[in-house]
Amino acid sequence: MSAGISLRRGREHVSSLLVTALSAAFGAGLIQATGFVNDLYRDEEGGGETQTALVAVAMVFILLALYVASIVTANTFGTIIAGRARTVALLRLVGASARTLRRDVAREGLVVGLVGALGGAIVGVGVSHAALAWGVASGVMPEAAYRSVDPLVLLPVVLVVLTTWTASHVGSRAVLSVTPMQATGAAQERSHEESVRRPVRTVFAILFLVGGASLLALGILLGLVSPFGIVVAFFGGVGSFTGVVLGAHWILPAVLRLVGRALGRSAPATLAAANAVRYPERSTRTTVGLVIGVTLVTTFAVAMATYRTILLREFGGEDVDGVLAVTVGVLSALIGFSGVIAAVGMVNNLSLSVLQRTRELGLLRALGFTARQVRGMILAESAQMSVASVGLGLALGIVYGWAAAQSLLGSLSGTGLVWPTMPWGLLAILVAGAALLAGLAALAPSRRATAVSPVAALAVD
Amino acid sequence: MNTTAPGARLVARVDSVTKSFGVGSNTVTALDSVSLGIRAGEFTAVMGPSGSGKSTLMHIMAGLDTPTTGRVWLGDTDITGLDDSALTLLRRRHVGFVFQSFNLVPTLDVRGNILLPFELDGRRPTREEQDWIDHLIGSLGLSARLGHRPHQLSGGQQQRVAIARALGTRPHLVFADEPTGNLDSRSGREVLALLATAAREYGQSIAMVTHDPLAASAADRVIFLADGSVVDDRARSSAEDISRFMLGMEAAA
Repeated sequence: MSAGISLRRGREHVSSLLVTALSAAFGAGLIQATGFVNDLYRDEEGGGETQTALVAVAMVFILLALYVASIVTANTFGTIIAGRARTVALLRLVGASARTLRRDVAREGLVVGLVGALGGAIVGVGVSHAALAWGVASGVMPEAAYRSVDPLVLLPVVLVVLTTWTASHVGSRAVLSVTPMQATGAAQERSHEESVRRPVRTVFAILFLVGGASLLALGILLGLVSPFGIVVAFFGGVGSFTGVVLGAHWILPAVLRLVGRALGRSAPATLAAANAVRYPERSTRTTVGLVIGVTLVTTFAVAMATYRTILLREFGGEDVDGVLAVTVGVLSALIGFSGVIAAVGMVNNLSLSVLQRTRELGLLRALGFTARQVRGMILAESAQMSVASVGLGLALGIVYGWAAAQSLLGSLSGTGLVWPTMPWGLLAILVAGAALLAGLAALAPSRRATAVSPVAALAVD
Repeated sequence: MNTTAPGARLVARVDSVTKSFGVGSNTVTALDSVSLGIRAGEFTAVMGPSGSGKSTLMHIMAGLDTPTTGRVWLGDTDITGLDDSALTLLRRRHVGFVFQSFNLVPTLDVRGNILLPFELDGRRPTREEQDWIDHLIGSLGLSARLGHRPHQLSGGQQQRVAIARALGTRPHLVFADEPTGNLDSRSGREVLALLATAAREYGQSIAMVTHDPLAASAADRVIFLADGSVVDDRARSSAEDISRFMLGMEAAA
């Protein structure tokens, strides 16, 4: 019976469906592409090395996309549960067990994963053939006996379903903290200190951070002798970044506090700074998408720029530049995707946090906060969050990007250790885009916050 | 107590104020042509059953809401036609608020909450104002709590912080909306005594909305509202008298 509460709410899952479909389409398309290249070089001598490298790189980016998607999905489910707290509390009040409710939510995740993955895979295969047809017609790709569907396409599909299911289960843990009392309207807001202490999680975060960083270093060293150093470095990157995400509940508030101090001493700025760190869980959910997005874009940009430096030095000439341009084009899809996800997550979470603070905003308006001061406060919160996430993402991305280039190409003769090449133009666009996003993310919530009259806000139960 | 003296200075006044909600056949009239003045330096209680319009009346007097028709004065200012930002400034400088619950900003400590009206004005309290605030903090027994956050305080302590904040700017009017509604009876009595003391010793004008006869008996003057109209206006009364009157009102309805 309780499945009824969830499945009727398809609209809430639009963003999760989008995420799963995009990652499945991306994975299927990429596998298809490597398949086509395989078909092309099947009969040639010396093609083998290129193929293996291509599949390795494709898998790296597919796993990366899945990793991002599952974190975003877990956070989206957390946000959805937060929005459903009243309903969940009511069901708990009339006797539903938290475990049953949580299983129902995870089942929603499974459905979302299945629908999204299958739909996305079909789109991905379709797009791959459309791109192939266009490539052959325009002479970029030679005529050949290309396969129709690579059986390996099933791999990303299965992975997407499994990760979405798991992510929804992880995200639904918020169900466990909903008490039946919340349905009676008498519950007090949970104080922020309660949600911070998480010794086990902190230990895991440190383990992942240290372990990941060590693997990353090992990958770079291995990269000096073999291109497969990137596989080790990849796991090092995922591991250390998982450490960052796990430890986000103390890392991000610390970064936010640092940025908050720069906002100034006016009352709206002080309150914004305090709000941003008040619920570490919520500000983590809001910012982690942006951290991931920016890390990814920066990693990609720095890696490509560094690849280019190395390859130009090794081989020179326009051939390399041409190949790089195609690669950049393909991988831009991934970048755009995570950017969209980060934007959706940020807007979602800021709106939610403003909605949940209606009474507090009403109090501030009653005490003499002008509408402009309230808007300023929300914009300052949004700005603080995006500056913190962009800053952290940039720092991480530069390290990861350099590690990627170094571990893949460090073994090329005469390369050795190189400095990261900074793609300044792209980084500038990134910072400007993040600033724009901060403004956009604050737009809707601040309009909603100032539309509420203090009387109505204070009357809310 | 000179509760009926004509010409006593008024700190807040409404003249033929009507407030209706909704449109067409769904219109609900919360206030029906009410005229009333809150006298300076007095502790006034506004009583009435749920739906009597007492909260709406107080919201309008405090500049939180605007009437459908009629005029409203706060101090010597006609606030009837003021826009949102002018009303906001007026509240910040000339009205203090004590609500039933959710009085304090959760992210600020006690000191930050008390100083919030000054912070919002972008200024520090003057030497004189600071002395006054220090005096309030001392007499409300908050000296040891200045660094505490609201969730670390009991309900009664939170309400005392709200009172300190409300009195801190020496506003024309302190507006208290069921200030004892969420408190145990002992903390409730303390809060009422503090409000009565503020009126008696500092000459602070206070308007309190309540439906609790015991709370109303702490006031210098009790105004009764029913169905959007003033039905009685009397000097300090005992809880028993107030209860009796309220029950009579219920019976007549």
